[in-house]
This record gives sequence, C-alpha cells and structure tokens, in this order.
Amino acid sequence: MFGTLRKKKADVAVLSDMVTKQRRYDSLVRALHTDIFRYAFWLSGDKHVAEDITQETFLRAWRSLDSLKDDKAAKAWLITILRRENARRFERKQFDYSDVEQDLLEDVYSSSNEDETEQYWLRRQIGKLDIEYREPLLLQLIGGFSGDEIADMLELNRNTVMTRLFRARNQLKEALDTPEVRGQSNG
Amino acid sequence: MDDLQFRRQAYGDPNNQSDDFLAHLAENEDDAKFVKDLKAFDQKLTQALKIDVPEDLADKLLLRQQLNLHQQTKKRGRYMMAMAASVAFVVGVSFSMLRFTPVNLSENSLAHVHHETKALIMEQDIGFNDVNFKLASIKGLSDSKFIKQPGRVFYTAYCDFQGVKSLHLVMADELGNKVTLFIVPAENRVVLEEAFADNQYKGQSFQTADAYMVLVGEPASDLDFVKKEVENTFI
Repeated sequence: MFGTLRKKKADVAVLSDMVTKQRRYDSLVRALHTDIFRYAFWLSGDKHVAEDITQETFLRAWRSLDSLKDDKAAKAWLITILRRENARRFERKQFDYSDVEQDLLEDVYSSSNEDETEQYWLRRQIGKLDIEYREPLLLQLIGGFSGDEIADMLELNRNTVMTRLFRARNQLKEALDTPEVRGQSNG
Repeated sequence: MDDLQFRRQAYGDPNNQSDDFLAHLAENEDDAKFVKDLKAFDQKLTQALKIDVPEDLADKLLLRQQLNLHQQTKKRGRYMMAMAASVAFVVGVSFSMLRFTPVNLSENSLAHVHHETKALIMEQDIGFNDVNFKLASIKGLSDSKFIKQPGRVFYTAYCDFQGVKSLHLVMADELGNKVTLFIVPAENRVVLEEAFADNQYKGQSFQTADAYMVLVGEPASDLDFVKKEVENTFI
C-alpha cells in the first residue's frame, strides 16, 4: 500500500532522471570508450586485460555517474577510475611483469604490410618504455592533457612530468636513430 | 632561453605554445626544424598508439551496464518488499497490542482531566440535543441519549481511551463546581473502579445499560449529585 503511493508520486521524476542518466552514460561510452580502451591496453599490454579493465571502469563510472559534475572533465575522471582499476588488478593477483612485452608481441601486430613495419617496431618500443615514462606520454598523446593536468592526475609535480616526457621521447627517438637496435628487434 | 631548456621543453611537449618557446623557434631556424621533426615523430607515435579497438566494445559496455542495472532494480524490488512486509508486521502487532490491552478507566480519566485543562475553562452552554448528536456517532452508544438537559453542559468533545472513542463532557454540581463526565461505550477490556482519587481530583464511576460513566471533580464537588442527574436523564 505504501509502495503504490510512493511510486505514483516519485515515478515520473525517477523515470526522467533515469532516462537522462542513461543518455549521458550512452554518450560517455560512445565518445570515450576508444581512448579508454587504448589507454588500458598501453597500461596493461594485453587486449583481454584491457577489455576487462575498460568494462570495470565504465561500470564503476555508471554507478557513480552522479558524482561527475562537469562533462568536460569526463575523460580525466574515467582515466582516474581506470588507473585505480588497474592498480586493483595488481592487488588481486600478482602480475608477472615480464609477460607484458610477450603479450604485446602476440596480440597487436600480425600485419605484413610494409607501411606498418615501422609502426610495429614503434609499438614495441613504446611497450618497452618504463611505465613511469610511458604513462605521461600516453596521457599526453591519447588523452591530450597538458603538463599540468598530467601532473594532477599522476600526483606528481609538473617538472617531474616534463622530465619524464622528455626522457620518454628521448628514449624512443634514440631507439629510432640507432639502426642496429632496430635491426636487432626486427631480426 | 638556453639550449638545454629549449630541448627539455621541445621534448616535453613539441606543441608547446608558450611565448618564450615560439619566440625561440622564430629566431632559430635549426631548432624550428628540430621541433618540426619532433612533431612528425609525435604524429607517428600517436598513430602507433591507435591500436584497433574491438568493434563491439561500446555495445558490450552498454549491455553490461544494462544487465547490472536490471539486477539492481530486482534487488531493490526485493528490498522494498521486505521493508513493506516488516512495516506491515509492526503495524499489525502494535495494533493488536493496542486493541487487547486492558483499559484502566480511572487512571485514564484522571490523565485526561489533567491533560485537557482547557476543558475546565470553557464556559459554553451546550444543549442536550447537541450532546445526543455527538453520542450518536460513537460506536456502541448510538442508541443512548439524554432525554432532557442534565444541568448546564460547559464543554463537550470526543476523546480516546486507548483506542475506545468516548465522549468528554464538563458539567456542574448543585453549587456550580465543575465536574468532568466521561461516557465510554461498554467494552470487555475496560477495568472499572468505583471510586478513585489522586492528589488533585477525586472520581467515581458507574455502569449504565451500555456505557461506563466516569465522573471526575475537585474534592469539594458533589459527584453524587451529578451522578443522580445523569442517571435521571441518560438512557
């Protein structure tokens, strides 16, 4: 008896709230799932793990969607959730770090195309970067965040972030400019 | 801007738009070329980072959320049912407690008089027909009535003796002392005391055909007078 009374009053409002929330979530998924998945992949080095993390991230995002006040901040918000999910993965089970590059080898590149040979090689180099150098670079290139924003998200100061970005690019460029290394990794 | 600082900035963010950086590029052709190369390299890196995303990923994400939502609603439904059931249970239990506890008329009457002090201040003059009208709507008393005016009635109201609807009247004895009369329909669970008192009031009660009468007044008032009055006028 209380149920129907309460329902009649609240139903309309709740329903429209739900519809708005659902729409908001739909557009969030469609607009950002690509970036989030890619970020997850470059963080974990494995497509299946990346998919799992992406799922968890978006599910968590759904549950706390009301706490996202500013839609412009959605990407940073999702990446924060994602990084937490990724860290949780290490708490759950001890992850074997040496697997990362192996997975990278198997999963991503089976292309025979000449153009993609360089990309193949580049991807391997990115995968080889230390995570502390890789992550700021991902945030800059995939996320499109500024140095200050990256510093916020990684809880580092801006100078550290810029140094790491410097080292990341430097390492990649050195690898690119050193043909022997390149030959080795291809051979 | 020295060379080291420039290289740090260039490597940190080739798309740096700060005035210093842009000014430096405008002045140094070699560095401008260097930054151009870095930008091209960034392009390559960005392309390399764009791994294929599973085609159905967005749909999968939405599906998972919908399933989750569905489960939650189901869970909430069960929770609401449980809440409703326990509320109904509590209501049922307290209702039956209320209905079956014995009602001590004398205690309740005294409490009512103490509580409704305004009843004793009222100076209305209510005709017995109005009183009868009120009596008629009380369950168990619909056949009872006053056949004539039982002296002056100053005040009348419904009151509640632990779930039993009753009538509360204020009348007067011979000398004009106010006496409160409660007319309570006969009920099994009512406990009647013939005479009672506390430190402020005294009271007595008696039974008529289908009602209990409780009289409460100050120690000086003549309750017997009112009792007779009522016995003579109430059937």
